[in-house]
Amino acid sequence: MYKSIICYFFAFSAFVMAADSKDPAAELQSAINASLEVVYGAGSEAKSDPDKQQAVRGVLESHYDLTILIRRAMGRNWELLKESEQEEVIDLIKQLVVKAYVKNLNGSVRPKVSYGKTIQISENRIEIPSTIVADGTTYYVTYRLGLLPSGWEIYDIVAENISVVSNYRQQLDDHFQRGTGAELIKKLKNILKNEEFDNEIKI
Amino acid sequence: MKLRFRSFFIAIFLTAGTYLNAQQAASPAYLSEEDLYNEDLSSSPVISDPFESVNRWTFKFNDYVYIKILKPVANTYQKVTPDAVEEGALNFFNNLQYPVRLAGNVLQARWQGAWVETKRFAVNSTVGIAGINRPADSMEGFELIPPEDIGQAFGAWGFSEGPYLVLPLLGPSNLRDLGGLIADRAVNPLNQPFSIIDHWSWENRLGLGVTEFIVRSPTILERYYEMKGSAIDPYSSLKNAYTQYRQGEIAK
Repeated sequence: MYKSIICYFFAFSAFVMAADSKDPAAELQSAINASLEVVYGAGSEAKSDPDKQQAVRGVLESHYDLTILIRRAMGRNWELLKESEQEEVIDLIKQLVVKAYVKNLNGSVRPKVSYGKTIQISENRIEIPSTIVADGTTYYVTYRLGLLPSGWEIYDIVAENISVVSNYRQQLDDHFQRGTGAELIKKLKNILKNEEFDNEIKI
Repeated sequence: MKLRFRSFFIAIFLTAGTYLNAQQAASPAYLSEEDLYNEDLSSSPVISDPFESVNRWTFKFNDYVYIKILKPVANTYQKVTPDAVEEGALNFFNNLQYPVRLAGNVLQARWQGAWVETKRFAVNSTVGIAGINRPADSMEGFELIPPEDIGQAFGAWGFSEGPYLVLPLLGPSNLRDLGGLIADRAVNPLNQPFSIIDHWSWENRLGLGVTEFIVRSPTILERYYEMKGSAIDPYSSLKNAYTQYRQGEIAK
């Protein structure tokens, strides 16, 4: 009898501890380490760029809902998309962002990433600063996370003072001043078709 | 025994219930969809772009030059030059920019920054052999600090950015930073009016200018491709990135 009571209390304590132990900084580090492992880990040389992009996207999406970043970048432009276009735009921008992320990550040496102390902005917003040293250059990147029912989710990334969400919001605001959702989809598909980024800009 | 067992379970459920209630009461407010998706971004700069059509045309011209001229130049330079030479050449030209960084610091009354820049210049120019090496990096109190320029000083004085501009070959800027750029050139020891190479023939001066352009080309291209690679509209992306970056540097 006493044994079962003790077991029950242990099980209950474990449940309580698990509910409290999801550390957003540890989660972030785990996601970034796993992405770096895809690009630089054993056997990565044999993988093609699209395979790496697919794998990195899988890793990131297993930790975070990337839709949040993109919806936030869309802002009020989201309402200008037809329902049928919304899902497609989200998927295409995810592909673009992951493609650029993997491309920029693909240096000769694995970057060294260190993390600063988590900064509590409010009860449901935090920032995690990080320093990335790649090919002798140091970059400062801050991850902004918000508390949602699904847990701590990234809602913005600020690299060298530049907010990624603000940057995309500007591009999308500019696009929707003259363009439509269908044109945005066409544009995104064209960009993704190009293997290299050095195609001349058509304005 | 049965009674004890039952009371034990009641106790467990009560404890669990109390815990969950307490958790619920203490649970922080989650971010709402309105917070996440519809808020105005405080970090989004409001950019005046009255010359957009000219700027876009210049942007397209720069893009052509970067791809057709700068890229082959940078690739060839990187192929034929050992990494150490590349790094040394870049250090040399960065060291020569000391008067610009000094002026940027002094004009903002950043005396500590001005002092660090001066110490670094003295050490790197002597021990580091004309700035080719950077021994100051590893000396306490001499470490690299973010570079300041005169455009940043104008920003710190409260001058507004003015209209956004894309300069031929040089890329993104604004009216305030264009003024800063002209002032930067004035204090640069390789340019007029205080040029230390004024007595050189024009061929030699041109040669030095071209060399600096080639040495800086890989860095310029790398940044350009990073931006362009993830952009839906590279013009808008660069306009926003440049403005956010400068605002951040001025606020530091």
